Amino acid sequence: MPKSFMPLAVVCGLMFAVSPILIADAPYESTMGLVQKIFYVHLPSAWMFLLGAIVCGIASVRFLFRGDPRQDRLAWAAAELVVLFGVLTLVTGPLWARKAWGVWWQWDVRLTASLMGWMVAVAYLLLRKYGGPGSDKLAAGLALFGMANVPFIYISVNYWRTIHPTTSVVPTLPTSFGVPLWFSAATFLLLFLLLLRMRVRLEEQRARVDALYLSMDA
Amino acid sequence: MFAHIVWLVLRKDFTIEVRSLEIAYTTIFFSISCVLVFAFALVQEGRAPEGGAAGILWIAIAFAGTLALGRTFERERQAETLRALLLAPAARPAVYVGKLLGIIILLTAAEAVLVPLVALLFQAPLFAHPFWLVLILLTGTIGFAAVGTLFAAMLVRARSRDVLLPVLLYPITVPVIIAGVRATATLLEPEVDTGVLQVWFALLVCFDVVFLTLALWTFEPLMTD
Amino acid sequence: MTLLRTLLVVVLACAADGALVLAQQPPPQQQDEFVPIDELPPQDQLPAAPLLVTAYSFVVLALFAYVVSVARRLTTVQRELERLEGDLKRGDSA
Repeated sequence: MPKSFMPLAVVCGLMFAVSPILIADAPYESTMGLVQKIFYVHLPSAWMFLLGAIVCGIASVRFLFRGDPRQDRLAWAAAELVVLFGVLTLVTGPLWARKAWGVWWQWDVRLTASLMGWMVAVAYLLLRKYGGPGSDKLAAGLALFGMANVPFIYISVNYWRTIHPTTSVVPTLPTSFGVPLWFSAATFLLLFLLLLRMRVRLEEQRARVDALYLSMDA
Repeated sequence: MFAHIVWLVLRKDFTIEVRSLEIAYTTIFFSISCVLVFAFALVQEGRAPEGGAAGILWIAIAFAGTLALGRTFERERQAETLRALLLAPAARPAVYVGKLLGIIILLTAAEAVLVPLVALLFQAPLFAHPFWLVLILLTGTIGFAAVGTLFAAMLVRARSRDVLLPVLLYPITVPVIIAGVRATATLLEPEVDTGVLQVWFALLVCFDVVFLTLALWTFEPLMTD
Repeated sequence: MTLLRTLLVVVLACAADGALVLAQQPPPQQQDEFVPIDELPPQDQLPAAPLLVTAYSFVVLALFAYVVSVARRLTTVQRELERLEGDLKRGDSA
């Protein structure tokens, strides 16, 4: 683990401790009131979900075409984070929606595409776990198709009439909302990078164990 | 040269299949049973649910397609012909396209049976606009088969391949299925809204292009050891 | 370890269940006539606080559970690595 890991982890923890203060200080939204505060965890989770899918996709392409095992480890770690942050997004979203829209779930484009993207990540993990030898390449192929889904998820809400807020909400945010959001987003990004580093480390150690076993047989 | 390889692979598959017609018969019979199960489950007091026909048709296509894909590549695995194909001095994408066309023909045969059956059992006017129906079914089948052929081929040497194929295939092909269902449902309405229909059709074509491109690009590295 | 995992699942399930129960409306009483109003009175509106609390606690718990999961897997692999390196060293010296 790099020397900067522990200090950064402490910083991340402190940021998590401070963010509720910023979130509580933020004003209420006019139509949604208190429940809108879920926004400050829902949106960063969604961003990390999409970022994870992009990282997994790019690492998978590099692994498929160059065979670098480090890219494969990165792709697997990123896929796990996609599942994690996907679960956060898909749970906080409906909790917010229950109050804001009156329903837990709607089969509109953004929600359906996000759910499908999440399921692709789960399928990736199942393939890695149960696919046997050679599943690293197959999973990389799957991740490529999954990454093609990401821009679709992001822009879908602007081109279809859906109940989900459009992407113009974030650029037009007033500062009083913007400060806690960007702070929360920075916290989540730091957490994402730290978790990614930890998870890649796990794969590196596993690879070392495999190499040791192989050298013992030789 | 490319087209020649495609034709050779297609002819090989066709010749083998025609000898026993095993996959064709079992896929078609499975599609019929699938639609009947839906009919028994959803028909109440002798009447089918409103607008259920489009969804049932595409679900039957998806299930029959998964079965056909699994069986086709299982046959390749048993005779180790896939390795022989890959060892041959042929461009890998050509082998992929050859297998893809075989799957599309098989699925089209299944659809030829499915469409009249669904139209009959669920009182759906599927034959009102045959040109559009054929276009939608064709583009949807190409999209589904493009991803399916790639995944089935790459899973041939994996463990738990039978259950992993649907697990991998369905989340990726859901957009194609949704577009196919919505396009077919629009077609079944008494007054067809051609604007909406064209949007869904354009989306299907878009998915086909993206999936075919990705599949052709990744077939070579995925099939190499 | 399985006990801890079961406990975690039970706590999460209770939290979710609590939110669901609080988020539902009470059943209406029998009426003789309907009277229109423009806005729902505050006591009939869906309470937001349980949803908010559930959302934030779920995020914290899920992130914590993941960190614990990765840390545990890391220690298992680390232990195996040390055992293997010890075996190899003993094999070399023997």
